[in-house]
Amino acid sequence: MHARSLRFTGPALLSLATLLASPAIVFAQTSPTTSTTSSNSDRWLHVRVISTESKGETVRVNVPLEMAEKVLPAINKDRLHNGKVRFDDHEMNGVDVKALLDAVRTSKDGEYVTVQGNDSDVRVAKQGGYMFVHVTEKHSYNDKNGKPSEKSRVEVKIPMKVVDALFSAGKDELDIVAALRALSAHGGDTELVSVKSDENTVRVWLDSKNVSD
Amino acid sequence: MMILAKLGLGVASSIVFASVYTFREGVIRVDVDEHRDGGSHVHFWVPAAAVPMAMHFVPKEHLREAASHASEFMPLVQIVTKELRRYPDTTFVDVEDGNDHVRVSTVGTKLQIDVVNPQENVHVAVPLTTVNDVAAQLAANAPGI
Repeated sequence: MHARSLRFTGPALLSLATLLASPAIVFAQTSPTTSTTSSNSDRWLHVRVISTESKGETVRVNVPLEMAEKVLPAINKDRLHNGKVRFDDHEMNGVDVKALLDAVRTSKDGEYVTVQGNDSDVRVAKQGGYMFVHVTEKHSYNDKNGKPSEKSRVEVKIPMKVVDALFSAGKDELDIVAALRALSAHGGDTELVSVKSDENTVRVWLDSKNVSD
Repeated sequence: MMILAKLGLGVASSIVFASVYTFREGVIRVDVDEHRDGGSHVHFWVPAAAVPMAMHFVPKEHLREAASHASEFMPLVQIVTKELRRYPDTTFVDVEDGNDHVRVSTVGTKLQIDVVNPQENVHVAVPLTTVNDVAAQLAANAPGI
C-alpha cells in the first residue's frame, strides 16, 4: 500500500515542482534582455518644484532618460511627432535659430549678450562646451545694500552638444529625442535649469541616481 | 481507499495548479477609504491573471468600442509598461500640496498609484504585465486590425 502510494506521489511532486518553477522559467524566457534592476549607467532627469507659498507645494519628477528616449517617439499628438516638435516660423519672429546657433557654435567662448536694465539683466554666454543663459528680474525697490532687490533668477546651463542635437532635425523642428540622447551621453552630474523666485524654486538636473535629493 | 487517495491527490493538484497559475502574475490591489461620515471603504485583491481571462468573455462589440477610444494610446501604454519593468522600486512622480499627496511609483514589478488627502485615501497597485496584456488585447481588438 505504502509503495503503491509512493508510485503516485513521486510523479505528482515532480509535476508540482515543475509547476512552481514555471514562473521563473517563463519570466526568464519573456524578458531575457531586460534587467529588473536599474543599471548604474542609467541617466536620470530630475525636476523639483518647491512652492514657497503657505501650502508649500512640492513636485518631484524622476525620469530615466533611456525610458524617455523610447517613450517619446510613441507619442504623436498635436505638434509632437516621432520625438520631434514642430514650430512655425512666425513664432520665432523671423529669427533663423539654426543660423544663430551655428554662429554661436563656431564662435570662441565668451559672452554674447549682456543686457543690464532697470527691471532685468540678461546674460547669454558660451563657456567650456556649455551654453549659459542667465536672466534676473528685479523689483522696483532696493535691498539693504542699496542694490535692486531680485524678483527672480533663472539660470540655464545646457551642453552645446545637446543644443546641437535639439536643432539637428529640419529647419522648423526640435528633435527632443536626439537632445535626450545627447544628454544621456553627457557624463557627470549637471544642473540644467535653476529658477529662484518669490513664489517658486525650480531645479532641473541630471545624474545617475533614481531618487531626487 | 486507493481511489479516494487518487481523487484527493487530483483535487489537491488542481487546487495547487490553479493557485500557482492565478497568483503567478501577481495581484491587483485596490484600497479606497473615504474619511467622511458614512464614507465607503473598498478593499479588494484580484488575481491579475483573471483580468486578461475575463476580457475574453467581454462581448466583442464592447471591446471594439473601448479599443476604438483607447487605440491611440495603447502602443504608448505598452511601451511605458514594458520600460517601467526595468525600474523596480522607483518613484517617478511625487506631488505634495498641503495635505494632498500623490505618488506614482513602481513597487517591484507593479505600478502603484497612491493618493492621500483629508477626504480619502486611494491606493492602487497593478502588475505591469497585466496592464501590458490588457493594452495588447485592446490594441488587437481596435477597429481596422
